[in-house]
Amino acid sequence: MKAETIEKAIGDLVSVYGDGVRTAREGSRTLARLADVEMPPGCRPPTTPMLVVLDTAAEKPVAYLQPGQLLSNGRSPRSTSVQIVGGESWMQFSFNVPWTEEAGIIRFIAAARQRFAQND
Amino acid sequence: MTDLELRIPLGVGEALRDIIFRHGQHEYVAIALVSHAQLGNRDTLFIRHLLELPESAYQLKTGHGAVWRGSSMIPAIETAMKETLGVVLIHAHEHRGPPQLSEDDSSSAERLVPMLRTRVPTRPHGSVVLSESHASGIVSMPGDFALRTEIDVRWLGASIVHWRVPSPDRSTRAVVEDFARQLLVVTENGQRTLAHARVAVVGLGGGGSHVVQQLAHLGVDEIIGVDGDHAAKTNRHRLIGMTRLDAWLRRKKTTIMRRVVKTVGLSNRCRMIEERVPGPAALGILKTADVIVGCLDNLHARADLQELSWRFLIPYVDIGVNIRAIKDPEPDEPRVTIGGNVLTLIPGGFCMWCSGFLSKEKLDAELNGPNRNYFANRGGEAQVVSLNGLVASQAVMEVLQLLTGFGQSGLRRRDVALDGQPNLQRGFRKLNGVRGTLDDWGASRRSGCSFCSSMVGAGTVSWGVPDAKR
Repeated sequence: MKAETIEKAIGDLVSVYGDGVRTAREGSRTLARLADVEMPPGCRPPTTPMLVVLDTAAEKPVAYLQPGQLLSNGRSPRSTSVQIVGGESWMQFSFNVPWTEEAGIIRFIAAARQRFAQND
Repeated sequence: MTDLELRIPLGVGEALRDIIFRHGQHEYVAIALVSHAQLGNRDTLFIRHLLELPESAYQLKTGHGAVWRGSSMIPAIETAMKETLGVVLIHAHEHRGPPQLSEDDSSSAERLVPMLRTRVPTRPHGSVVLSESHASGIVSMPGDFALRTEIDVRWLGASIVHWRVPSPDRSTRAVVEDFARQLLVVTENGQRTLAHARVAVVGLGGGGSHVVQQLAHLGVDEIIGVDGDHAAKTNRHRLIGMTRLDAWLRRKKTTIMRRVVKTVGLSNRCRMIEERVPGPAALGILKTADVIVGCLDNLHARADLQELSWRFLIPYVDIGVNIRAIKDPEPDEPRVTIGGNVLTLIPGGFCMWCSGFLSKEKLDAELNGPNRNYFANRGGEAQVVSLNGLVASQAVMEVLQLLTGFGQSGLRRRDVALDGQPNLQRGFRKLNGVRGTLDDWGASRRSGCSFCSSMVGAGTVSWGVPDAKR
């Protein structure tokens, strides 16, 4: 991702999520932590922190949720794995979240959330 | 034990001592750029970079230890702001016993710290004085008042040198009698260190069960075990302490290891976490360990443990054994190759990426599937109890060396060098199980290693308000 794309993405996150956005830099990566992202109806918990990793050495952002997120049927989503990011545990899901620069980060997050609207 | 600890990676301790204990016309000051984390109940500072003021920056003034031009600190402050790090000034008072900041030291810290807090509010700042055995200072944690305090210091070198402020619970436990036959190696001081040590073992299978049992016999105070698996019938030939009933009831490996530790009865505490790394409960407790031993069957988990080790400056010992059949062996020649490793990874020294033990290609090849759960329950690899025991015993010797320095102590890079090869660091041992050898090949830190440069002493992420919001 280009540095200016990352900068624009952070700006967009702040404009939508306001004070709930915190960022940090680690090497080539910019980490953006969203305090509360609303999940699809029935998911437990209904809101959860999300981590978005924006990396100049990667082609697209990667989204993570706090481990323990359940679907509306009460089950853990399949094809997920817990990974270490920034020294903490985060849940990654292999669902292919589409990314284009034009569509932007807010749509990317919406698509990532949608994965949890499907019960496995 | 105090509420504050300063951790210093391998190699940096040597440089720090060279600067602040230098003899000259004035005292010398080192500028440490630090990250931090709360590990258990303790605030811990990690030195990321160490900078030195040029001689021309000092001004000679009678009656003052060290006076320097404020502008000479600008490069350090700029780096701190760029990398979101705290600034801690460190100098020395050359004596043994607890040191005190002088009035001069205190007033300069009281001027500097508020200024530094406005530059990087999310990291600690302060001024620390070291004697030859203790440390104290004024440190301001993010969002907190500046605190005048005694400070524990943990230096990483050939062993962990831990300057601890004496506390009433130390040295109260009678250790000599129970361990009389190992004191020639461990020493009484070493035994006391073990009696206050916390060692984590990740993976409680064929290798980890040996490690746990030996740590329990050594008298390690607290043993932490991490494993999410249940024992099965096929584990019995190699899982130390496992019974027929454990197999029948499919007991958790953590349950079996807890029983092993309890049966030996020489450790005070045993905490078992039924989870795979990097689950949140496992990470939370591993961060509080003095040493981590990894007994894992995959590279991804090793990479995770190494990240934890580098971030929080916790030495990490990794073991593994690989048994492979030789296709169409010659008569009377070996039918198998038996390889393996015992890596002693000291943050600040070589890492798995520096040494080629890890690479992106190896990780990708291991994954070979949609995500890491693909290999969550893979099994069937050949294992022999005695081979596991061989590398596990060496791992425990490495833990003993790190905690007690029985073989070598010292903070210099040459104190960890391979015999006769000063450019190679000890700790990259390769097993040849067919020949029965475990040789140290050594490895060296690669200067361009991006993992080392971004992770050594990185601490927890310092979350800030994004620029777009300011």
